[in-house]
Amino acid sequence: MSASAAARPPAPESAGGRDTSRPVPFPRAARAVFDLALEGMVWSRRSLLMAILLGLPIAFGLLFRGIIVSRLPPRMTAFDLYGFVIAIYYIRNALPLAALFYATALIADEADGRTITYLLTRPVRRGAILFGKFAAYLVTTACLTLPAVVVSFFLLTTTRGWTGVGARVPDLFRDLGVVVLTLLAYGAFFTLMGVLLRRPVIPGLLFLFVWELVANLPGYMPRLTITAYVRSLIRHRPPDEGLAEIFGQVLPAALCLEALGAMIVVFLGAAAWIFASREYVLEQ
Amino acid sequence: MTRSRTVVLGSALIVGAGALVALGAIYLDPARAAVGPLPPQALSLPAGTRFVMGLDVKRFVASPFYTRYSSAAGASARPQAFAELEEKTGLNPERDIDQVYVAGGQVPSGPRGADGLVVVTGRFDRYKVARAIETERKGVTSKTVQGITVYLFNEDRSGRGTGAVAFLDDSTIVLGAQSAVEQTVAARARGDVPLRSNTMLLGLIEGVKPGSTFWMVGDQTLLANLPKTIPAPGGPGSSQSLELPALKSLVVTGDLDPQVSLDLTGDTADEAAAKNLADVVRGLVALASLQANQKPELKQLASAVSVSTEATRVHVAARFPYELLDSIQPRSAPASASQPSSTP
Repeated sequence: MSASAAARPPAPESAGGRDTSRPVPFPRAARAVFDLALEGMVWSRRSLLMAILLGLPIAFGLLFRGIIVSRLPPRMTAFDLYGFVIAIYYIRNALPLAALFYATALIADEADGRTITYLLTRPVRRGAILFGKFAAYLVTTACLTLPAVVVSFFLLTTTRGWTGVGARVPDLFRDLGVVVLTLLAYGAFFTLMGVLLRRPVIPGLLFLFVWELVANLPGYMPRLTITAYVRSLIRHRPPDEGLAEIFGQVLPAALCLEALGAMIVVFLGAAAWIFASREYVLEQ
Repeated sequence: MTRSRTVVLGSALIVGAGALVALGAIYLDPARAAVGPLPPQALSLPAGTRFVMGLDVKRFVASPFYTRYSSAAGASARPQAFAELEEKTGLNPERDIDQVYVAGGQVPSGPRGADGLVVVTGRFDRYKVARAIETERKGVTSKTVQGITVYLFNEDRSGRGTGAVAFLDDSTIVLGAQSAVEQTVAARARGDVPLRSNTMLLGLIEGVKPGSTFWMVGDQTLLANLPKTIPAPGGPGSSQSLELPALKSLVVTGDLDPQVSLDLTGDTADEAAAKNLADVVRGLVALASLQANQKPELKQLASAVSVSTEATRVHVAARFPYELLDSIQPRSAPASASQPSSTP
């Protein structure tokens, strides 16, 4: 031990033996925030609503098997229907909406509930708070979505027996991966909106249902959206109408993965930087 | 364990169980074969094969397409032909044939230069079939290749026939050009799998959706013979034509139940060619839509086709419900009109 180190006053220690003059290490802090946020997120009214929204295809699958398939002439195969559920329902609508309502609230809820003070006064880095909450969001939404996708797959594709189901399985695994990637990409974007804007839900809805329509335009414009990349990664191509039918394009998978990866890193990095440097003044 | 952890664990268990069942479905699926939909015996096909087509006869016979249109085409002729075939060979195609594969090289170079091959798998009475081959037609001779009897049709003095047929094993018949049949028989007897060396074609076959009722793959050698242009939609007398980009490969898969589904994937030289080809197809579909004023059923036909591109690939997906196919058929067919509609 050097002389200077020996002369330094002893670091204040808590009962656990941690150096209290320094913030809690990032992984430990993020894990603690994750545990706390997960408990709050999974058992919440929002999650109940999202569970209904994301689990709707299961109810539809049961209805299809029980009633529709036996009474109506099938206009599309059951696998086409599954593809429609994935491409139109989950990828284009339900998952972005789930990401919007969860991710924009990661920090905004704490500010609105005036509990952010308690969070920020703890000896943890702000980046760890954001990371832990984002991880909790991802786990919560994935827990609600992935089982629903798996159950929907088996409900819809086994309508006429198990023959040929094996051939569809690669699509299931691909869909599960794309679902997680969609939650990550939109989650990162809406997390950034959540720390950037005071009321992020309306701009988020405008982004989803106005700006994302750019994906149906010709040329390079679709590359300015998130949906064009996630749509291109799945193999289901339900028939479109209007502009989408005329100009619909599928981007190369490698480009999609690179673009989505870059978006996730940039959006989360920007969100962490803004959250770390922003001063939160609570309204009295 | 906290409540949230219980939810996460339950969710993970569902996904995990689903993944296991899915993997089991892959392993146990009867559509599994040696390479894609090809059975092991078809790997004895010559390495120079440029295209392969397949038809799942069981699925085809069970499809609404077969039940609707086979009876509509001639209610008496078909069973009679099948009855005669069954009487002579003991073979009922609807019952005994499982799969039919058609393979070929480039282009026939003459009456005896065709190198097409047909591989039929199913359950055969070898004695009856062999006897029918020997007695039903004149000019049938036979020779032995690697211990397997090959029947030759119209063998000339140089020992070449216009066609040949042989049993690869009890459940597989190969017929077609003599040289190709002999190559296949010899390779099978030696245990060779020449088609394995055709990695390009095998790659395409592996991409075929297993369980398809019919499918076809072809590489650029075959596709080089496709027309380069098609007449522009200017009507008769129009001098313009649409230029079609060259295709490097083509994969077609289709199903007939519960509707006629067709998926075509063409690989072009570059992204621009893919977009060009997709535009041509979209243009044709749009033209069909424009005809909807005169023929309303064409509107449905146009909306049944979707076109998309993915880098150098063009995907065309078509879904035709039987009601739509019925509506665009000539009204004069009384047999089809008498078919009960599936709509309630």
